[in-house]
Amino acid sequence: MYHLNKILAVAFIILLTGCSVGEKKIKIFSLEKPREKLNYEMPTPLQMEDIYWYIITSENAEEVFAKLEAAGIDPVLFGITDKDFQVLARNFAQIRQKLQETNNLLEEYKKYYEDSGNPQ
Amino acid sequence: MIFAVLLITGIAGAGMYVMKLRSDNAVLKANQLKLETAVEEQNKVLKQQKEDFTAIMESNKKLNVLINTFKKDLQDLDKRFTKKNRDIGKLALERTKAIERIVNGGGKNAARCIELASGAEHTEAELKATLKSEINPECPALANPNYVPFK
Repeated sequence: MYHLNKILAVAFIILLTGCSVGEKKIKIFSLEKPREKLNYEMPTPLQMEDIYWYIITSENAEEVFAKLEAAGIDPVLFGITDKDFQVLARNFAQIRQKLQETNNLLEEYKKYYEDSGNPQ
Repeated sequence: MIFAVLLITGIAGAGMYVMKLRSDNAVLKANQLKLETAVEEQNKVLKQQKEDFTAIMESNKKLNVLINTFKKDLQDLDKRFTKKNRDIGKLALERTKAIERIVNGGGKNAARCIELASGAEHTEAELKATLKSEINPECPALANPNYVPFK
């Protein structure tokens, strides 16, 4: 009876601890696939063509038209007043600034989303 | 006989209990791992948010500087036309040739400013310009990054 108890006790211990042998470990991992980059080239810079501004007053008008005719250019001019010239200069400055602002924004977006690893 | 039945039932019960413990343990371990992963991911997100915030602040600062430069450029342009009650029309009547030359020079400079604003590369002369006589007065901040205006 004494031996039977011993055997039973050992068997009981083995039964309880045996389950812990060969227990599989769980591993959780996530793999992040970065979004493909939108590798557009920056827009090609503009190449502006030269234009010539003629200043015509009541005194030099004939001289200017004569020069145009002599150079084989149609003696016709599209004119604006001095005030409108200022407005035109201002409008051009604003267009240029908007262009620069848009280009800068584009570069900032590119830098933010492509350099810092933001996936959006 | 009764003792043997009790013993077998007991052992079976213990075995099932251990199996249940084992399964509970597996669930708990899985949860623990998920929590650890979540914490790690949250830390990463927090770090990224911090970096993003710094990048956004820096970008905002740059754009604000740019917008202030724009305002100044427009004010300078207005000043060139109206400085000391200047009347460009009157000046053109008095000194037609000189004003024609100035207007054409200004037009060329303005066209160059548009090219630069659209992303054209600076020329060496533009980069080197540090004197007022060397700069493009239509957009000095854009055309001549090394020019520091005298205040």
